[in-house]
Amino acid sequence: MHDRKARRLVEATLIDGITRAEAEKAEAEWKPYLEEQLKRMAAEGVPKDRWPQHGHWDWRQKQEAADAYLAYRMFGVECQSQMQGLMLVLTAGKNCQIESQKGKPLAYVHFLAAAPWNLATVAPDPRFSLVGSILVATAIHLSIEEEFQGRIGLHSLPQADEWYRNSCGMTDLGRDHAVQDLRYFEMTPEQASEFLK
Amino acid sequence: MQTGTPSRKTMTLNLTEAEMQALDELSATKDISKTAVLRQALRLYQMVEVRTARGEKLFFEHDTTKQKAELMVL
Repeated sequence: MHDRKARRLVEATLIDGITRAEAEKAEAEWKPYLEEQLKRMAAEGVPKDRWPQHGHWDWRQKQEAADAYLAYRMFGVECQSQMQGLMLVLTAGKNCQIESQKGKPLAYVHFLAAAPWNLATVAPDPRFSLVGSILVATAIHLSIEEEFQGRIGLHSLPQADEWYRNSCGMTDLGRDHAVQDLRYFEMTPEQASEFLK
Repeated sequence: MQTGTPSRKTMTLNLTEAEMQALDELSATKDISKTAVLRQALRLYQMVEVRTARGEKLFFEHDTTKQKAELMVL
């Protein structure tokens, strides 16, 4: 990961299989920080459409729900004893929609978020960058491990559309009326290979 | 990386010709090995079992007609 303040890369730990305790700790650290920043943003008159759209996600609840299923894998990136990002991936039952890959299985990124202090939209002085990229790369590696050749898919919150389209190089398949009208993105094996470079 | 990936175990599977043919076809269509097909099947089956045990039902919905049909889980 990149420490923005120190302007250097720092080592982080990728955790495969987030425990209840780890999810609780992350939630306990993320929530108060986010609430504090939202108060500041409200006081500064920051328009609500610039507030984080995933602020209501409860990772403790997600970990508990996903823990019951073999099909879900939960990952986290930890640095300086704090969780810097979390991701929940579904590894069964989702198929590609892109014509060239149609019907072939993919790893579906159900939820992905960086800690609020790493978000440029929230933190006045964001701490680490590349958290999202590490998690997307992790989803690609999981897809390869599952023999899906790097194919991944996800529904993006509007604030992240541009990042998935331009920074990750995913294909935008348009709005999905079945999933809150969110835009649906897919990555082909070729795009995955390009991303990992 | 700290990993939660469990170690893998090997087993022998006895299938009828029809079952093996279905497995071969799925493996070819999905472009994954037969082991990966069965792993997918197990994960989905386990998910259905957990949810039906909670009192939920599994439906298929036709994309255009929106007609719903319940999947009978034995």
